[in-house]
Parts: sequence; structure tokens; C-alpha cells
Amino acid sequence: MPRVLTFKVNIETGKQGPNEPVNFSFNGHTMPFEKVIGSNEPDAIFEGSFDVNSFAHSLALVGPEKGKWEIEKIRVDYDCEGEKPYVVNWGAVTLDETTEVNLWQDPPVPAFDV
Amino acid sequence: MNFIKRFFSGMKQEDEASDPVKVTVPSSESTVSEPGASEPIASEPENAEATAGEERFSDAPPAPRTILHAPAAKQGLFPESSDEILIKAQPSPTGDQCMFTVNRVLMKNCSWYFDSFESAAEYSLAESLFSLEDVETVLVCEATVTVTRKDKTLVDWKSLAKEIGTAIRNAVEEGQSLIADKIISTIPSEDVIREGIQKVIDEEVNPGVAGHGGQINLLAVKGNSVTIQMGGGCQGCSAADLTLKQGIHTSFRKAVPEVGAIFDETDHTAGLNPFFS
Repeated sequence: MPRVLTFKVNIETGKQGPNEPVNFSFNGHTMPFEKVIGSNEPDAIFEGSFDVNSFAHSLALVGPEKGKWEIEKIRVDYDCEGEKPYVVNWGAVTLDETTEVNLWQDPPVPAFDV
Repeated sequence: MNFIKRFFSGMKQEDEASDPVKVTVPSSESTVSEPGASEPIASEPENAEATAGEERFSDAPPAPRTILHAPAAKQGLFPESSDEILIKAQPSPTGDQCMFTVNRVLMKNCSWYFDSFESAAEYSLAESLFSLEDVETVLVCEATVTVTRKDKTLVDWKSLAKEIGTAIRNAVEEGQSLIADKIISTIPSEDVIREGIQKVIDEEVNPGVAGHGGQINLLAVKGNSVTIQMGGGCQGCSAADLTLKQGIHTSFRKAVPEVGAIFDETDHTAGLNPFFS
């Protein structure tokens, strides 16, 4: 597993959004995002990042404290030590107070043409 | 020695002096309660005034949330329209195998595992791959060919991958049936495969991994490809890959030789009780 230097999320909310602070869970520790732009209210776009500088065992977006959060798209930009920066895109998911959604994906396996 | 004694006695006094520890916790964590519990988990502090208006520390861990997996957006390896035969090689992180993805379907709706040169007789693609010196096994599934090598000490696939890529390209260009119909006709029905695999899971695999608190579940059989999920002590275990490749694969193929690809859909990052954590 690589050392994550920083990661940045871009989340498109659908018709339902809690409009409350957005937290993520890194290796089981829940924290708020930094450098936040936008919100998670309906039809809004939320952007946030965090300078982690630690090894990733798990990374998840924590669901709202109350209500539902309909997410249309999630884009995560990772910058990991010794790896080229890479981007992962996910589709729709709905979160609530009992759920979180995985945001972690290992760097892509290097591929070459043969 | 005296220093150590003083150090530990000092620690104890500090702990007692600062007890109870007050930590501000998020509201969701402070409301956690055990099902059926009649009393709040956080006990009342002896000095209620000291903590009045403050949130209290709860010994109970926060209720674990269910981790969902949103559908990942697929990113194509190749340009969408290309008449040229394009092949990408992707060695596994451990270097024990290499997957070759072709922009053509090699075997539709089923897969086939060749464990030796003899098993590849009459099948052009597999035969040409086994004619390469270091190829040990070949798995053909949809548009991919996964190869393991005999020399396990080598992890650099560059030169062998070039040879394998050339062999695959030549076989595709020849336009022959890459996997003979004879093979496909020997594949039993999904029900027969499911029954055979479930039997070996129940009678051989699960009793074996139960000693480590693990379990294997059969999720799906599609064609002759099998999808499993590891649970309990196997989920997140650092030896899961070894268990899968050297234990489960061998047992499955011995019990049902027609099994092709074996997929593991375990989310090892979500394991709460891995055996070798």
C-alpha cells in the first residue's frame, strides 16, 4: 500500500442532500475535509481535500448524521508517494447515517503494450 | 529499576488523577447503545458538576457503518475503434502472474484453464504459449489471457511478455478458433459446477479455514467461471492471496476440472477480524 500524500474529492449531489459538513474516514479515523468549496445540498458540487501523508489501509466517505445523501458521481484525485498521480471515478450511491462509501483504490497496475 | 518503578507508579497516579477522561465525541458516537441495554453506556460521573455542560466519554466503540461500494466508472485500455490487434500486459503486484488484455474477445461466456503443455494439445493459442520456455499455466477468459511462469524468482515480465504478446497476436491473426469447440462442449452446466464447488467448499475448504475463523462463500457461477467471497478471519488476512491461489484454486480444480476463472470479490479492506492482521 502506498503512502497517500494528498487526495481531493469532487462529489456531485443528486436530488437529496443533507447540507451538512462532509467527513471522511481514513484508517478508521473520521475527519472533516480541508479546502472545502461548495456543499452537499441537492444538485450542488462539493470539493474538498486533505494532506494525509500516511499509508492507506482504508478510506471512506462518511454518510450524513441525519437523512439521506444521494450522490451522483464521485471523483477522487490521488497523489501517492512514488506513484504517478491518478484519478478514480465512481457512479451513483446513496448514503445515510448507517453507511459510508469506499473511496480507496490502489494505484493502477502498470500496463505496457506488447 | 527504581526509575522504572517510579515511572509506572507515577503513571498510575496521573491516570487516577485525571480519571474520568473526558473526550469530546461526535453526537453520533455519543448516542451508541447496545441493543436491549437498559442503562446508558457512559456511567454517571461522581462529580456531576465537574462535567456539567460537557460531553462525556463513552467506553463503547462507535457503531460500525456499513461500507458501500459505488460502481466504478470503467476506463478503457484501448481506443474504441481500432482494427489493429492491441495487447496490454499487466503483471500482478507480486509478479507471480501477468494478465494480457486483447481488444478482441478470445472466449465468449466461458473460460478455460490449461495447467500443462499436454492439456493444451490441439488448441492453437494455448499450444503456442506453452511452446515458450517459461510458461507454466494459461487461463483464457473473455478478452484476457493470464499466464503464470515456472521461474518464480523472476518478477520482471518485460521480455517474456513480449514473446507472449507476439504469440497471442499471431494466433488471433491466423483467425483460427482459439479455443476449440471440443473444449466448450465438455463444460458442464452451471448447476453441476455450482453443486461440485459448493460440496468442496463445505467438505474441504471451509473446515480448513475454520481454524483461522475464516469462511469461503460461493457467490456465483457464470458459464464455468466461479466467483467466491472470503469472510471472517480470511477477510483482510495478509495470507488470503496464498490461501486463494494455493489452497482454494487447487481444491476447486481437483474437484471440478472444468472450472475456468476463479474470481475473488472479497473487499479485504473492510475486514474487521483478519487472522493475520
